[in-house]
Amino acid sequence: MNLPLLITTIAFLLLSSHASAKEDCYDCHGQQGGRTYVNKDALVQSVHGKIACDKCHLNIAPYPHGTVSKVNCGICHFLGRDGAPKEQAAEYKLSVHGLAAGKGTMAPTCQTCHGGHAIYRSADPRSSTSREKIPALCGRCHAAELGVYEKSIHGTLLLKNNVSSAPTCFDCHMEHRIPSASEAKWKLSLVSKCGTCHPEEMDTYHKTYHGKVTRLGYTTIAMCWDCHGSHDILPQNDPASTLSSKNLLSTCAKCHPGATESFTKFYAHAEETNRAKYPVLYYTFLFMTLLLIGTFAFFLTHTFLWAYRALKERIQKKGGM
Amino acid sequence: MALVKRFNAYHRILHVVIAISFIGLVASGMPIKYAQAPWAAWLATLLGGYTGAALVHRICAAITFGYFAAHIGYVLYDIAIVRKFKFNILGPESMVPWLKDLQDIISNFKWFFGKGPRPQLDHWTYWEKFDYWAVFWGVGMIGVSGLFLWFPVFFGQFFPGWAFNIATVIHSDEALLAAGFIFTIHFFNTHMRPEKFPMDPVIFTGNMTLEELKHERPLEYQRLANENKLDQYATEAQASWITDAGIIFGFLTVLIGFALLVLIILGQFVY
Repeated sequence: MNLPLLITTIAFLLLSSHASAKEDCYDCHGQQGGRTYVNKDALVQSVHGKIACDKCHLNIAPYPHGTVSKVNCGICHFLGRDGAPKEQAAEYKLSVHGLAAGKGTMAPTCQTCHGGHAIYRSADPRSSTSREKIPALCGRCHAAELGVYEKSIHGTLLLKNNVSSAPTCFDCHMEHRIPSASEAKWKLSLVSKCGTCHPEEMDTYHKTYHGKVTRLGYTTIAMCWDCHGSHDILPQNDPASTLSSKNLLSTCAKCHPGATESFTKFYAHAEETNRAKYPVLYYTFLFMTLLLIGTFAFFLTHTFLWAYRALKERIQKKGGM
Repeated sequence: MALVKRFNAYHRILHVVIAISFIGLVASGMPIKYAQAPWAAWLATLLGGYTGAALVHRICAAITFGYFAAHIGYVLYDIAIVRKFKFNILGPESMVPWLKDLQDIISNFKWFFGKGPRPQLDHWTYWEKFDYWAVFWGVGMIGVSGLFLWFPVFFGQFFPGWAFNIATVIHSDEALLAAGFIFTIHFFNTHMRPEKFPMDPVIFTGNMTLEELKHERPLEYQRLANENKLDQYATEAQASWITDAGIIFGFLTVLIGFALLVLIILGQFVY
């Protein structure tokens, strides 16, 4: 091999890896309708619009390319190279999706949800992960859950009533972290997640035995979804609700086998300070509070006065003061 | 030093059983009542987690029902068989509060303010009678509400479900009253008051000195002296191990009680 040829080859390789080479890729990949078509406009406007093709498509040989390896988003996003956000990749690795993919099981990877070239910020309506598209996105694999969610109050609000703040899959399952449904830490965090929109219900729940045991860090006792349902959550006045008059007893009986109709008159979100709504509870609480205050006020006064007098007499007896 | 018998073996053993089960109930109930406090999780862990604490709570509850029944049995036995129904229900040996107790309360408050002499007390003082009946009230209130919460499905057949909300409030507040009372007022009245500090071992040994009887319960002393019964009550000192074990047990329960009291105060007012 002579020297001029070597220099030319090196120069070609160096140049070809520059951004300017992107234009060359479109010579073939810009052909609309082709199997390898890349929408240039979409790519340029995407979050990766300024990144050269071979930053992602590594070690790609000039045409004919030979074996083309799958794009590994982790080369930037796991390492945080060139300022690429890396938390999501780290969370994904430990998610049920990431762990399954790591074992070689078929499981969603980054591209499954984000797509390849047309990646936009999730606030952008063009994004495949924009809020109202989330249920359908997850539903591509989780069809049964999607079917149930769509009919739920949360699904109806988001998809039919366009209430974009209504919870989607991501809000509870956490898009990248997606923990196993049996993970206790996640379940415990979900109670306060429900509480972000339902703060009063969370507070009153925390005052009941159910809520106190949960707050102590145990997930074996009724949590929000054990009574209200999760994907199928519906208002109580909907006959299909787990809490409708038709279903309430069987919902209680899940944990309390043998429960009777009268058992279901339990206030799962009692407020002992609400006289109008819970009069008997209110007066019980009032009586107990007065009993406590009265007893302690009398006996603590009694005790302190006693201690004071007894000490004073002791000191006087010693003749010192 | 001459000794006088105040408590028999039954009383002393029962008090130890009450103390142990009471500490067990308080310690295993607190993590639920104050689940929001940072100490709750480690106290629960110390007792074997939530299920361990629940088991300790139920065992101690069963002991409580047991000693309550044993005491009722003892009182009936004492009145019917030992005393053959010759028992003055308003007399000095009865726990029933009467006019003298009201007079004693008034005189004691006068003494507190330096406006009179100490009341002349007898076998049971008014604060001892209060402690005694407080256990009846407490075991009744906490016991019944506790049974509701222990067997909700059973009681749910006869009561509306909101009875469990009522039971929760009663159980929780009455428990706070009982624990707060025992760990402050009972501890002070019996062990911490200046003439007894740091411990009155009478409940463990059963014996008090004749001097104590003369000084603290002059009416009882006079009565026994008049009836020539002092010899009948004279007794020998307990074996030293009984006294030592009693004092060690007493200090331990007071110490644990104070520790739990600190956690209760933190749970109630800080977190």
